[in-house]
Formats: sequence, structure tokens, C-alpha cells
Amino acid sequence: MFRGIAVTLFFTFAIVVSGCGTKAQYEVIFNGETLKQAEEQENIENLDKYKIGIVSKIRGISYFYAVEEGVIEAGEDLGVEVIFRGPSDATWESQKDVIEEMIAKDVDVLAIAANDPSKLGSALQKARDQGIKVITWDSDTDPEFREFYINMLDPEILGRHLMDSLALRTEEIGNYIILTGSASSANLNDWIEWIRVQNEEYYPNLKLLDIIPTDEDHHKAYTTALQVIEEYPNLTGIIAISTINPPAVAEALKFRNKEGDIVLIGTTTPNLIREYVKDDTVHVNTLWSPQKLGYLTVSLAKDLLDGTLPYDGQNIPKNGNIRVIGDTVIMGLPLDFTKENVDQYDF
Amino acid sequence: MIFKRIKKLKFVNFRLSTKLIITYILLTVIPMAILGSIAYSQYTKSIEEQLGEYIPKLLKQSNENIENKFKELATLPDLIYNSESVVAILRKGETTSLSEGNRDHYIVRNFFLSTFLSSNNSEILGVFLTSNNQVFENSRLRYEGHYLENSFTDNEEVVLFVGDMQVLPPYQSDLVFEGKPPFFLLKKNIIDFDNRRTIGTLYIAVETAFIERVFYNLDNEDKADMWLMNRNGRILYHTDSSKIGTTYHEINDYPILNGSFHSNESGVSTLISLDETTNMDWILVHSIPTKFLTERADVVTNIIIILLILLVLVTTLISIYLALTVTRPISTLGRLMKDVEQGDFQVEIPIHSKDEVGLLARSFRSMVTKIRELIRINYQNELRQKNAEFYALQSQINPHFMYNTLETIGMAVEEGDSDIVVDMVTVLGRMLRFSLSNKDQLVQISKEVLHVRDYLSIQKFRFEDQLDFHIDETINCDDYYTPKFILQPIVENSIKYGFTKRGKLTIHIDVIKEVTGNGEDVLFIIRDDGPGIDRNKLTEIYELLELESGPIGERDSGFGISNVHARVETMFGKEYGVQINSEEGKGTEVVIRTSLIPGTEVSKYINSRGFSENGSN
Repeated sequence: MFRGIAVTLFFTFAIVVSGCGTKAQYEVIFNGETLKQAEEQENIENLDKYKIGIVSKIRGISYFYAVEEGVIEAGEDLGVEVIFRGPSDATWESQKDVIEEMIAKDVDVLAIAANDPSKLGSALQKARDQGIKVITWDSDTDPEFREFYINMLDPEILGRHLMDSLALRTEEIGNYIILTGSASSANLNDWIEWIRVQNEEYYPNLKLLDIIPTDEDHHKAYTTALQVIEEYPNLTGIIAISTINPPAVAEALKFRNKEGDIVLIGTTTPNLIREYVKDDTVHVNTLWSPQKLGYLTVSLAKDLLDGTLPYDGQNIPKNGNIRVIGDTVIMGLPLDFTKENVDQYDF
Repeated sequence: MIFKRIKKLKFVNFRLSTKLIITYILLTVIPMAILGSIAYSQYTKSIEEQLGEYIPKLLKQSNENIENKFKELATLPDLIYNSESVVAILRKGETTSLSEGNRDHYIVRNFFLSTFLSSNNSEILGVFLTSNNQVFENSRLRYEGHYLENSFTDNEEVVLFVGDMQVLPPYQSDLVFEGKPPFFLLKKNIIDFDNRRTIGTLYIAVETAFIERVFYNLDNEDKADMWLMNRNGRILYHTDSSKIGTTYHEINDYPILNGSFHSNESGVSTLISLDETTNMDWILVHSIPTKFLTERADVVTNIIIILLILLVLVTTLISIYLALTVTRPISTLGRLMKDVEQGDFQVEIPIHSKDEVGLLARSFRSMVTKIRELIRINYQNELRQKNAEFYALQSQINPHFMYNTLETIGMAVEEGDSDIVVDMVTVLGRMLRFSLSNKDQLVQISKEVLHVRDYLSIQKFRFEDQLDFHIDETINCDDYYTPKFILQPIVENSIKYGFTKRGKLTIHIDVIKEVTGNGEDVLFIIRDDGPGIDRNKLTEIYELLELESGPIGERDSGFGISNVHARVETMFGKEYGVQINSEEGKGTEVVIRTSLIPGTEVSKYINSRGFSENGSN
């Protein structure tokens, strides 16, 4: 009797406890999967199609060759197609043709170092109308024509720093002139503006005599420098901005045996100026790494296509941290190439 | 089938108390067991579901913490860029002299000490920088072996990528610090952004304490296994350090990589929760055997089981008690029935409950009482009948009656009236035969009437003109029956008292049929014109009629009437019997009411006499 009861109870327990009997090895209780994977898939698909067009100010100068190196490196690292083109001269008209070419190639992003802030507007607008995202680097256009601007450095910091460098070496007394790349180049004009601000604020005994554009032309820069040396015998300093000007001026100074007498502060790549720095023709040469700029431009262009806008403090792989002020990206701090450290740099 | 039948038969054959006990126990134990089991399984399931949803959220947060920590760690190598002198040393390449090399080492070591090994970064055990076949190092603890490049290249699969920083999990390199603390080895190439080339590789050994803290926060009771692994199942960190670096193959079978699922892998019921990092390439896994989750539920379950057992015991006791309260009176009743069967009608039934058993006992009690009563009534009827017969016989062989009769015969002989003598002797003989020979209780009305006629005839011989009588029968007296000796006692009474004050007595006897609501009755009406009975006497007689039969043998005048009344009433019912109407000085009328009994129904009255009635007396 009691065995019968026990058996009955046992079966009851067994059935209830085991629930539905057989269970799968894995029984999902809570599914937290998101649409993440689908998104990733989409991104990968998009990545194959990314085509980024980079337009420089001019073709055939070492600075933009260096930028191109960075662009190509980034294209390989990030797996995007990059097209690097520059006009034969540093005018907005010829740059416009390059933009047309880029539109024809159906790029996804057009990154341009503009020769004129406003005159390229219609060409850039045409590109945007075709769904091409436009960003600027090195030299900006008016804000309405682009998404954001990648500046190498803060023009205020650079301008003030150039002025300080000149003042340090002229003992804050004397006359100087500025040789610039082109009268319409927005970034160069910014720098000049800040040079003047710093001059007015701190150095009353230093006097800016003239600002002369040399149109990114080595020969013109050289002859202009010679002229200036002739024209202003009391000249104590020259600030040569744009990459073409410093070596041309240094060459002119050497030709006139004025090296050391006239303080030369320049912005150019170390490779162009290395010898002049070492023999004290150029006292301080300030610039950034153009390769880094090229790399950064492609990185940010790709991020833009991925839907990410640059943000302050963002760490760009192989590039370091960037700063963002408004719609301007600032790549970093200026580098000073001096007699002591110029050998560390190779670009 | 056979088994079932045997079982069924067996159950049927159990005693009622056993059946009741089994039924009670099954009725309580089975529902409780089922309820308990369902409640337990539902409870554990809901716990699993809750935790299954909750743990992934915790994991997500923890994962974010770990991710943030790794991101933070990933910024450490960038501190190198802050020191131009260090970057300059790295850019320089080969040194020109031993002293310059030593100075470089001095600079770098000091930089490491101030930047990485300061008190702010107590987790960093050591920093190693390889550049141009040189190794710059500084560490918090002494260490042995640092085949750093080898460790990374050989274990490419184990390596975790955080951005462009590689992380080697603990125990995967030859590098061992004093005290063998586990550490992550971070590797990052130092890139000269400006020159676009790699100028060195930085290795930072970071203690795993931060991840242990995260794990501890998730499970501070050390019940769960937690680990980090990449999508291929390579374990990068595990609460069980021996598993670090091994491959967890089950990941390929996992249904999801975010969320929770229940696993019965290797027979152990486990709740596995996972969270995949959003930005990095690892999965945080939390695996806890469900027995730990349901620990508290198990305590409750144990208590419930104990309570259940106690309850079963209690219900068993109660069921035994209940079964006994039902079955004990029944068996008592059974025993008493046996006693009654043995003839003991005086049993005491000690059951007074109001339930069905009580009802049964009450019915049984009333049945026994009834039987006892019926037995008594039967016994009395028999006795009355015998009394009546005895009385009739007595009155006929009464010496006084015999003397008077014989004297009358003697006188007739003297007068030579032989016809009268012959008549009288014939009548007397017929009377004696009627009294002696006939054993039946019911006789044809005609015979009873004949008998009273004989009696009156003899009295008539004796009293001559003083006595007159008329007998009218309006029904067919041969077809109907009546109890024997009901008329003679009444008539005897009339003669006895009728002569007391007057010289002449006339007796009328009418036998008539009366139709009533219940059927047909026969009325014997004996009327005399005697002195009547005064009111007190009449009341006395009525009281006598109400009583049962008087003492046997008492030859009282009232006895005859009451005997007749009792017998008729017993035989036919309350509404039947003797009725006396009397008026002093005018006479007396006695009515005997009986049922009309045709010959076919005689046997019914004889056999069932007394049983067909309810509550006589």
C-alpha cells in the first residue's frame, strides 16, 4: 500500500519538477542583441565605395608632395580610395578645373586647400549639389561652402609665435617685412593678422614695412627677396610665410652675403631649408608635418562618411589628438625647426 | 489490466478506515506536492529570468568600465609625445658614443619614473621601450625575462586590440615581476607623427587589479566564473587564472553574444550572461550555476518540504482520527445489531451525534424500540384474546350461570315442558361448543350473533316475560366476520345491571353497516331499557376503557367491556372500539364499531394483527 503511494508521489514530483521534460542545451532567457551587427555590415559595404578626393593649392612643390605621402598612407591604412590632385598654378581658376575633374570622378568627399575663400564657391556648391561632401584643409573657404575646415594649427598661436621668434632675435628693435604666398590665401592672411596683433601688443620698436605676395613661385620669391634687400638697407628681419618663400629668401640672403645680418623667420618644410638652418641663414623655421596633415584630412573625411564629425580632443590613430573650435579642426601645435633639432625631421 | 484489476480489488477490499486514510492523505499530499513543485519551479524560473535580464545590464556597465579603463590605458603611451627630449632620442637612431647612450637611458628612465611610475599610476609595474635595438626600461618591481617581441608575435591570437594598442593578457609573456602579480602588457608603437614613421615600441605592464575590482563588484561572493574573451573564444582574463590564454570552444555554440541563456552544459545547470563591447573586440561573460541563484529559494523549499512532511503527519493523524470517528460508531452499531440479533432488545446505543452515523443510530434505536413495542403489543393481544376466551368460557361454565341454567331446565322438567328442556339443552350445548371448539379469533357475524342469541334464549327461559330481546341484522351476517366474544360480555352486563331496579328488561341488538370516509364499518348496537348508568359511573367506565386490560381473573362488570374495547381497538385502530351512551332511567346504548371484514380478508387481520397499526397506546 505505502509503496504504491510512494511511487505515485515520486512520479508526480518527477513530472512536475522536470517541467516539460526535455530541454534544449541552451535556453535563451534574455536577448540583448542589437542592430549593431547589421550596422557594421552596412559600414563595411560603404567602406568599399569610399572615394576621397584631395585638392592641393598647387602641383609640383615639395610641401604638397609631402601632404600626398600622408594622404596615400592614410588611404592604405583606412582602406579608402584617395585621389590627390593639384592645379599647375596657385590660382582659383585652375583649381576650379580640378574640382570639375573631381566631380566627374564622383568622389564621396572633396577636401580642398582653397586658393580663394569665395571665388570657388560656385564650383564647390556644384559638387555639394551632387551629394559630394566638401571639407577644406590647409586654407579655408567661406564657411557656407564646406562642412568643416582642417587647420594645421591655430593661426593665433602661429602668428604670435612667429612674431615672438622675430622679436627674440632682433632684440625687439628694427624694421621687417613679410613675404606671403598669395594675397588671397585665407590662412596666410590670418597668420599675418595675428603677427600684426602681437607686434602692436608687445613690440612698439619693431616696424612692419611691407607685405609682399610671391604667388607660391620660387623664382618670384627669390627676385622679390633680392629687391627687398636692395630697397631696405636697414632691414633687420624677414618673416617668410608659405613654404616656397623661406628657401628663396635664404638663397637671396646668401647671395647678398646678408646671412646673419637679417633675421629670417620662415614657415616651410625642414627638407627645403635644412642647410640654411644649419648655417644660420634661417634662424627659426616653423611648420607642421604636411604628411600628418594629409593623413588627418583623409581620416576625418572617412569619419565624415561614417557619420562622425570631428570633436574636441578626438584621438586620431597615428595622428594624436586634435582640437576643434567651432567648425575648425586644429591639427596640433607648430613645430620649431632649429639648428639643434632640424635633423630629427625628414619631410 | 490484470495488475490494475488486482490493485483495484485490493483497494476495494481494504477496510473503510484504511480507504479513508489513504484518500485523505492523497487528497492533501498530492495537491500540496504539486503546488509546491510548481511554485518552486516557477520561482526559480522567475529568478533566472530576472537575473537573466539584470546581469547583462550589469555586465554592460562593467564592460563599459573595463573599456574605459583600457581606453584610459591606451592614452598612456601618448604621454611619450609630451617629452620632446625622449622623442628626440627615439628619432635620433644610433648613438655616437657610449656616454651619449647612457645619457639617453638616463633621460628616458627619469621620464618613465616621473610620468608612468609616479604615485598617480600605482597600477603600472614597469615600462619598456624598444627603439633601434635598444631597450629603455624602468620598473616598480624587480623582474626577470622580457622577450617582449616574442611574446606578442607568438601569441598574436591572444592579443587584444584597443585601438592601435595591443594588450597581452596575464601570464602570456616571459616577463615575471617579483611576487608574480598578474598584469596586462600593453604594446604600442610610438609613431613620429611628423616624420610619419615608427620610432619605437612601448610596453607597459599594468596590474590587473582594476579588472579584478570590476569582477569583484559583479560577484563578491566568488560564486560565479567571469571572463573576458575575444570572438574566437580566446580567454584574455578569467577569474580562474589558469584558464587565461586558453580557448573557450563553447562560444561557437552560444546562441547569442548579448544577453542571457540557460545552459545545461556538462550536466550543470548554469545561467550564462554575456555582453559584447560596443567598440572593442571582446566579450564579457558571467557564468553562475543556478544552484547559487536559487540558494535562498532552496532554503524556502527545504522549509516547505519540512512543513509538508509535518503537514502530512498532521493530516495523517487527522485522517486517522476522522476515519475512526466515522468507522468506530459504525462498528459499534454493527456489534449492537449483532446483540439485537441475539435477542437483546434492551441495548443501549451510545451514539448521539447529529451526522449520518447518528441518524443511522437513531433509526436503529427507533427500530429496536418499535420491535420491542410490537413484540409487547402482540404479546398483550394474545393475552387479551386468551383472557376473552377464558372469560367467555368462565361465564359459560360459571357455576352460577350453570346453576341457574340447570335450575331452569330442572323446573321445565318438573313442569313437563319437554320441548323447552330440549331447546335449552340444545342451546346450552351449542354455546359450550362455540366457546370450546372454535379456536379462531374471527368468526362469522352470524355465529357470534347466534351465540348471543343462545345466551339470551337461555336467560329468557330463566326470566321468562321479564326479559325480552330483539336482534336485527341488516347485513348478510354469513359473509362478514367479527372478533369472537364481543357481544356476550356487553349483553351479560345489561342483564346484570338492567334487572336491578325494574322488573322488565328489553334488549335490542342491531347489526348494521355504516359507510365512513375510510371504508365500511360494522356497528353492533346493544340497547336496553334498563336503569341506565349514572354520570360518575359512566366516567369510571370510560376511564376503564382508556386503560389497558384490567387484572386477569377479576370477574368485574367493567372487565368484560374493557376487554372487548381493547381487543377491537388493537385489531382495527383507535377509531374503533366500544362506545357507551347512557341516560339514567332511560337505558343504555353500547355501540361496538368494527371494520367490515369480508371472508377474503380474515387472514390479513389474523396474521397482521397489531402490525398494521401505528402507535397504539
